[in-house]
Amino acid sequence: MDNEKILKREKLRRMLFSFAPAAGLVILFALFMAFAIAQDINIPYSLKNILNQSVIVIVVATGAIFIYTLGSFDISLGANMCVSALIGAMVYGRTESLVMMLGACIASAVIISLTCSVLASVFNLPVFVTTIAMLSLLNAAVLMLIGANGTGDIIQVPAEAVSSINTIQFKLFVLLAYLAVCVFAFSFLKLGRQEKFMGGNPVCAALSGLNNSKLAICAFALAGLGVGLGAFLTITYAPTLSRNTAGSVGMDVIISIVFGGMPVSGGARSRIYSASIGALSMTLLSQIMLMMNLNSGISQMVKAVIFLLVVFISMNDGRKTILPR
Amino acid sequence: MKSFRKILVLALSFVLTFTLAACSGGGSSEGGSSASEGGIDDSKNVKIGVLVADATGAEALAFRSYYENYIAKQYNVTFMYSDELTDAAAEASAIDNFIANNCKAIISFASSDRPAQIRKCAENKVYYAVATGTLSDEEYAEFKDNEYYVGAIGPDLATEFQAGYDMAKFYLDQGKTKFAIFGGATPYYTDMHIYRTAGMLVAMCEAGGGTYNGASDFGSMIGKIYEMNCQLEPAKIGSVEVVSYIGGYDFDDAWFGKLAEAANNPNVEVLLTVGSGLDTFAAFKQESQQLATVDSYTSDAVAAMKSGVLNYLAGKYSASIGPIFMATLSAVQGKPIRTANGEALALSQGYWVATSAEEAEKFYAVDSSTEDPAYTRAMLDTLFGASYDDFAKFVSAYSFEEIQNLKK
Amino acid sequence: MKTVEIRNMNKRFGSTIALNNVSFEAYEGEILGLIGENGSGKSTATSIYAGMQKCDSGEMLFMGTPWNPSSMNDALKKGVGMIVQENGTVPGVSVAENIFLSESQRFKKGPFVDRKRMINEAQTALNQIGADHISASQVTAMLDFQDRKLIEIAKVMANNPKVLVVDETTTALSQKGRDIIYAIMEKMKKENGTVIFISHDLDEIMHVCDRLTVLRDGSIITTFKKAEFDEDAIKTSMIGRELSGSYYRDDYGDPAGEEVVLKAENLCHTNQLDHFSFELHKGEILGIGGLSHCGMHTLGKVLFAAEKCESGEFTVYGKKVNTIAEAMKMQMGYVAKDRDTESLNTEASIKDNIAIAGLDKFAVSGFLILPGNEKKYVQKQIDGLSIKCTGADQYVSALSGGNKQKVAFGKWLGRESEILILDCPTRGVDIGVKQAMYQLMYQMRQEGKSILLISEEMAELIGMSDRILVMKDGALKKELFRSRKLSEADVIQYMI
Repeated sequence: MDNEKILKREKLRRMLFSFAPAAGLVILFALFMAFAIAQDINIPYSLKNILNQSVIVIVVATGAIFIYTLGSFDISLGANMCVSALIGAMVYGRTESLVMMLGACIASAVIISLTCSVLASVFNLPVFVTTIAMLSLLNAAVLMLIGANGTGDIIQVPAEAVSSINTIQFKLFVLLAYLAVCVFAFSFLKLGRQEKFMGGNPVCAALSGLNNSKLAICAFALAGLGVGLGAFLTITYAPTLSRNTAGSVGMDVIISIVFGGMPVSGGARSRIYSASIGALSMTLLSQIMLMMNLNSGISQMVKAVIFLLVVFISMNDGRKTILPR
Repeated sequence: MKSFRKILVLALSFVLTFTLAACSGGGSSEGGSSASEGGIDDSKNVKIGVLVADATGAEALAFRSYYENYIAKQYNVTFMYSDELTDAAAEASAIDNFIANNCKAIISFASSDRPAQIRKCAENKVYYAVATGTLSDEEYAEFKDNEYYVGAIGPDLATEFQAGYDMAKFYLDQGKTKFAIFGGATPYYTDMHIYRTAGMLVAMCEAGGGTYNGASDFGSMIGKIYEMNCQLEPAKIGSVEVVSYIGGYDFDDAWFGKLAEAANNPNVEVLLTVGSGLDTFAAFKQESQQLATVDSYTSDAVAAMKSGVLNYLAGKYSASIGPIFMATLSAVQGKPIRTANGEALALSQGYWVATSAEEAEKFYAVDSSTEDPAYTRAMLDTLFGASYDDFAKFVSAYSFEEIQNLKK
Repeated sequence: MKTVEIRNMNKRFGSTIALNNVSFEAYEGEILGLIGENGSGKSTATSIYAGMQKCDSGEMLFMGTPWNPSSMNDALKKGVGMIVQENGTVPGVSVAENIFLSESQRFKKGPFVDRKRMINEAQTALNQIGADHISASQVTAMLDFQDRKLIEIAKVMANNPKVLVVDETTTALSQKGRDIIYAIMEKMKKENGTVIFISHDLDEIMHVCDRLTVLRDGSIITTFKKAEFDEDAIKTSMIGRELSGSYYRDDYGDPAGEEVVLKAENLCHTNQLDHFSFELHKGEILGIGGLSHCGMHTLGKVLFAAEKCESGEFTVYGKKVNTIAEAMKMQMGYVAKDRDTESLNTEASIKDNIAIAGLDKFAVSGFLILPGNEKKYVQKQIDGLSIKCTGADQYVSALSGGNKQKVAFGKWLGRESEILILDCPTRGVDIGVKQAMYQLMYQMRQEGKSILLISEEMAELIGMSDRILVMKDGALKKELFRSRKLSEADVIQYMI
């Protein structure tokens, strides 16, 4: 085989690897449709349901990609979302304005997120360390907010108040608008390039004039915006909030991001679309397993196996090590 | 390229393997008996979604076993279980999943936002029933006329109060006066636990001739607990004393420390728990002390009764969810069971109380059987399309002995 | 007798052919040199022989019998040891544990490890190679690169190998380290062992070796016997063409500009810089020389504001510089000594690496990145520096050392840096690329750019610099001016 052919094959393989997550999504969708048709399930409702269940995770995870790209992570995303949603609900209770509720959700999420990154910058700590501290603080804040403002152990927004915006059209609008902002920032602004470089090699990035603290603050601000929107969408979907609200979001975000082909260490191979692909894939997978009526233990195991496979593939993406020469 | 293909093939094999496994495992009841004499249509499989807030606890597993290993084999029904639901959003998602999968009815063990659950089901013309729980009066008033709300069968709050009262009274009658109470989820405003705690305190007021912070009867005790923001404290109640009180499920060192401290107090004679006695006081209990709990009939609980770690067990029996299944199936198959005014079911069901290892063993043998459980198909079939009165009579005869008599 | 025999060995990494039908042999009592440009296959062939990896096809013999080691450790136990180019020690454990990394079983005493005996034996191994200044009980992370290399050597020599492969090790060592290796090689030769010696340093390799095998693009080109050694002939066979033009710059008496672009006064930094002052002029190549720990590498970092000095200050075009971003605004650039960690993000593409320092140069309105602009900016550097790659999207980790260094240069040339701090810019780079870099530096000088050339290679400093500042213990020891008469000995006497 001559070099030209090898080169072509190599390029093809790389392309295959880079499209693997999207291909996985297509395969899962095909499987889902096959099952859905075979079992004669309510396909339109089911598709709407898949979007409904993915939207919040996509929004939060897309924002979180800015953090993951830096090679960092935020363990307090779920708790932040819970606090922001509670504050949003309380503001609605006082103002009865959805706009004010949206503003409160976003403002509190961004402030909490920024606090993590600013504290890390001031105390010169890795950001994930401050997010761990923030997690405890936020969990305490949740209990305080519910204790002070709730009835019993919940805070509620009247279901009829949010029913008008609990539509798939509204959710898609929010999702697409936020995705557009993130894709633009990630692909067409200096910020995206700098974050990827910082995530790949912070030492070299610093010696190339990049400021880790500033980048972290920008990343956390954008992630905070996503968390705020996620909190708002959570209220519209299920207006009864408790200390368990958004409890699984943190883990869902991590799984989606990895499932979407994003390297866990961030860096140059980070992709902004990973969250969308990953979240949709995860939901499709859950739906397929639900149709198979697997009990949650087995379905968790299947998810774990596939998760490991995805990480394995993404870590061995065809770039073979070339020896030091 | 080769390795990529291999991995892809591997991944697909996984999915397909599970697909086949699921296909071969499911539908065990299909092709079973056709329409039975009672009018149950067994020819068409009915999918029922089950919402659970606890997927791994012993009690939850016992309930699940009754549905999946007995009911699903007896009737042409498929149960689809949700994951463990911890908040209202997760409940809404799970209901959406069930609706998408053509579930005709949903039986709920999850209570983050019951009104939202009922509304969603009704909007989508899916029947909804509450198992092992009740709606509040306001909620019942809102939904009792909704044709898709089947109703609720479970210990109502009065029954919960009585369970706590009976437990404390059992020991007060023996002359015990020094108690430690584990209040479970009382600090989280969980009604079920608040009422059981209140029952215990009222029994103590009656026996001790005193009050708990000024409250002594059912109404005032509940009010007092809420007034205290569900954060209770030890107190002297006449001649009786609550030596220590612990609430919440913190599972941290401080929390375990408090449990140990209470059990180590030589004055404490009885450890009363509104739930989870085996996970809380059992590890610290002294030989001279007595331990009482509300729990379920599991092998662990029976073993604890036998070893003397546990001395009093008020337990739900797994077949207690049989009648609500039958009410749901009746509704799905066009024979809803409603009151004379067309209102949904709101029936209370109590506990089986064992105060000796022998009793506990006897209850457990029946409760854990998947061949001959407390409520068999023959018994449940009598409820299909039954009148409200007959149905209510059946449910109200919940004690072990009454059920054994019904069997005959 | 032949000790090493490799026949028709082939190896491929993805699209790259690393070895193409390579055959060579080495004999008892011989030091065989392997030489070739970066990526010619020297390390690949020897690392396969030493058990580090497998070949795709081919045959290997050791002492006349088939040779197929399962691992480096297996090879070492059977008589073939290799000292690798990269760092091969574990930083968090003691020196003794590194030396006996795979042999802890040997020191088992019941359920425990007899640490005392292990340390004693490790110290003996270190003493035997002349590295008695290293304590076997020390934590390895506390030691510098050279001492860590010596630990690896001690580890290999403790096994008394019959064949020793020394891969590109000496370039990272000071004279003392080199002397230790040379002594070991001589001893092995005398004791009828075989040494395969890989180096970029032509003078060194010609001096040390008995025979010299040249590889190019994964194939054996020729083998020279000692009597046939000729620098030009070897160079020509290495790069496949004759080196045209001068290796270093050949002008003398061409003065640098008058204008002072960078001025440092009394810089102090822990024990690395001791009241160090100097001026860099426009159009000047200012060489900074000294022993590895004289503080010159720290000086590079301080001047790029990557490290803060304790006292003293420096100005660029008369202005103080406090941050790297400010230094870049003042058109400064810095190529670090540790290329793979500090100069490049190897897990990113050539495009990412070159563009990252020049985002402000091609971003519309200073923030908007248009892919077309970025591509044009990067391609200009790839073409200008003749970076050998499959395209701008190729990962830097897949490039050879020389091409990596070109990318590091491209990063700063792209933004038209006027002042370049180059710390060991030709370290681990083959002579073809080296010459290209020297020509580039000279061209930049002629364009009026100023270069601070920090180097451990005397010849390079003498050949390229307008002035040389010799450092010792963080202080300026001597200022030497460009002259045909300037010899390595003239410089070295001030360094030691």
